[in-house]
Amino acid sequence: MKELNPLLHSQLRLAVMSILMNVEEADFVYLKEKTESTAGNLSVQIDKLTTAGYIVVEKGFVGKKTRTVCQITDLGRAAFEEYVEALKDYLNL
Amino acid sequence: MDEKKITEREGIEIITSMIARTRERYVGDGNILLMWGYLTVIVTVLVWITLVSTQNPAWNWLWFLIPVVGGIATPIMSRKQQMKSGVKSYTDKLTSKIWTTVGVASAVAVLCCLGFALFKGINCWLMMFLFPVIVIPVVEMAQGFIVKENSLVFGGAIGLAIGLFMTCCVVGKVVLYHYWALPLFIVAFICMMIIPGHIINHKKKSQR
Repeated sequence: MKELNPLLHSQLRLAVMSILMNVEEADFVYLKEKTESTAGNLSVQIDKLTTAGYIVVEKGFVGKKTRTVCQITDLGRAAFEEYVEALKDYLNL
Repeated sequence: MDEKKITEREGIEIITSMIARTRERYVGDGNILLMWGYLTVIVTVLVWITLVSTQNPAWNWLWFLIPVVGGIATPIMSRKQQMKSGVKSYTDKLTSKIWTTVGVASAVAVLCCLGFALFKGINCWLMMFLFPVIVIPVVEMAQGFIVKENSLVFGGAIGLAIGLFMTCCVVGKVVLYHYWALPLFIVAFICMMIIPGHIINHKKKSQR
């Protein structure tokens, strides 16, 4: 049986990846609202996913406020698909 | 939500729950539709009044206000709308690309008409009158089907019916006199842009 990817097998990171699999791009505020997480925690998890190359983050400005936009990469998409396949194996789906 | 280890079952639950949350239907707001609708109606009324009162065809240059004002306002409004929603879905990307294609096609059509007018002295501008009531309704109906918004489908259908009627008139050599063709053009844009725009904004307000 395939091992579950430890980077994805975590509540918040999996939630972020699930959202980004379904949209073209999402900003930090949207992800925070949909995952019902704290800004600090979300920021840490986004950094981990970025370091792994699963997502790309683009920081910009809207007026004086910063805007962080996240987008899934091909590597992230493949890792997510592999993770879902492994989950199916575990649960005999 | 926290950074904690989860069971396999919880993993599946998180994925399905997040997919459901991102699938909330997002049509956007109707402001861009309203801007194009009112802009077109106002310019058409302006052209109509000036043509009727002066009989000078030079006033037809006023039509260029529509692409110039709309072309500048649309990217600004669209960016603002996306910032507000915080997300860009694949549907947003698709519809944006389709409308960009329509914009480019319109620009090419204008250049063709200008070319014919300048180099051959042939007046093809009637095509620019028919283009918006044939191409735009079809694209709008397609968008309506994609985002499941009936007002876009029905509005587009009325616009297309008017467009096809006008095309038949042109092919059948029935002169499109401005005293009836321009009001018909206004009706098309009210049905295609203004009514759906207000319906979408009303729906959005009642969702809050």
